[in-house]
Amino acid sequence: MSRFPTHAFQFLAAVVLIIVHAPAQSSTASGGLNSSWLMYQAVPGISWTSHPGGTNFALEWEAAPVLYSFGMTKLVSPWKFFFVRPPARFTGSLEFVVAGEVYTSRLNDSHVGFSTTLLGHVPLVEYGEYLALNLGAARHWFSDTPHDFVVVGLSTVFGFVEYNIRYAPRDKIWIHQVAVRMF
Amino acid sequence: MKCRRTFAACCLVLALLSGGCGPFIGRFIVRSFEQLGSPVETVKDKIADPVRPGVRLSVLWIGHASFLIQMDDKIILTDPVFTQTVGLLATRSIEAGLDVGAIRRADVITISHLHFDHLSYGSLGMLPKEGVLVIPAGGAEYTPDFGFAETKELKPWESLERDGVRVTAVPVQHFGGRYGFDLSWSAELGYTGYVIQYDGMTVFIAGDTAYNPEFFKETGRRFAIDLALIPIGPVAPRSIMSRVHADPASAVQIFEDLHARFMVPMHYETFFQGLDSTQHQAREELTRVIREKKLEERVLPMRVGEQRDLSAFVPWKKG
Repeated sequence: MSRFPTHAFQFLAAVVLIIVHAPAQSSTASGGLNSSWLMYQAVPGISWTSHPGGTNFALEWEAAPVLYSFGMTKLVSPWKFFFVRPPARFTGSLEFVVAGEVYTSRLNDSHVGFSTTLLGHVPLVEYGEYLALNLGAARHWFSDTPHDFVVVGLSTVFGFVEYNIRYAPRDKIWIHQVAVRMF
Repeated sequence: MKCRRTFAACCLVLALLSGGCGPFIGRFIVRSFEQLGSPVETVKDKIADPVRPGVRLSVLWIGHASFLIQMDDKIILTDPVFTQTVGLLATRSIEAGLDVGAIRRADVITISHLHFDHLSYGSLGMLPKEGVLVIPAGGAEYTPDFGFAETKELKPWESLERDGVRVTAVPVQHFGGRYGFDLSWSAELGYTGYVIQYDGMTVFIAGDTAYNPEFFKETGRRFAIDLALIPIGPVAPRSIMSRVHADPASAVQIFEDLHARFMVPMHYETFFQGLDSTQHQAREELTRVIREKKLEERVLPMRVGEQRDLSAFVPWKKG
């Protein structure tokens, strides 16, 4: 049994269950995991993975189960769970991100991949709203094989667009990722 | 400039991808692109020291919704914006009417709502930090830690008092959120007007608002307002703007509902915004309304950078 199904699918199932059972919130300051939020999460990012065996393109869907923001006013909790307004992220934060990838061609005998990322955001321009630096570490599972990456990138356009480069030095794998971060 | 255009193109693509991009938004974005690179008018004879001893009440129009108000020894800043653009796309037609370095202190800084032309992160970052930053309920989720001595959210009719200055949030008719994408959970939150009271003087700050007789008559009943700062633009297209923005005629109606003594118009001739036929459409319409209603001595259009001393009209002195 590969590591991807046993760990990744269980984790993704847990994420989906949490989202589905989270109480719908009306228009409140804290926002909520409502239908609009779900719709925004459906917007995929794109990535292309360069490895010794070739290049694979993928669509990616990301979620942030937990984020700690250290750039916001003390009037709000620094902890965010799934629902993250852009300022909480781009003004300075550390987040745990899970993502599922669907590849246009097989990568390690599979069309799907999974990743977890610990990603920090450092504001550069306009408190990060125009430009922020992303730094982090990630683990990707291509089929049953895990690979460890370092992550460097930029966030722009109010934190909605991220471009990250991921590199696995041991396996010589590069991933270029353009993500749309919608709350 | 090329870099900025590329950046703006990214915004356009994002806006189109987001869906719901109606004809108005499309035309607005096109108009914004057309304005990129337009010359920015300079303000001559900027006031170097806007705070003067002996002044009871004065108001300096920094531009758009940004004012520096002196109420005796207290300094109030409203929706301070000093940056060259707001929200990446909207550019200035005229520079800020006051150098940010001329602001040596601000006792209260009010933010009426979260839109880019009112809550400017870069501008707030430039200001002295000794005062209290007052934001509307729901605004904290969009407010970075700027380092002000205090940040306080206010709901409509809620007040705070610091060192004799009383700030009360009052209802206005606009819309919340910051990015458009967040309307589904922020539409009813994050915008307000304010009434500032100090030493017998009362100033009303509308922020952004459309006409709502219920709100403004109630505010007029509760406060004896000396000075009302009321937006008069953008005017066009009225079919859309009338729900969220007062035009000059409705701004004057707000002024009359408030029973205020003086009105200073705002929210025009600073950024390229809306689909007004010219940058001066709002001023021209206001001039006509003032003449029709014979309000020349009470409605006081200002130039960006101009300061008006209204001390003579607020006779009460500190006891």
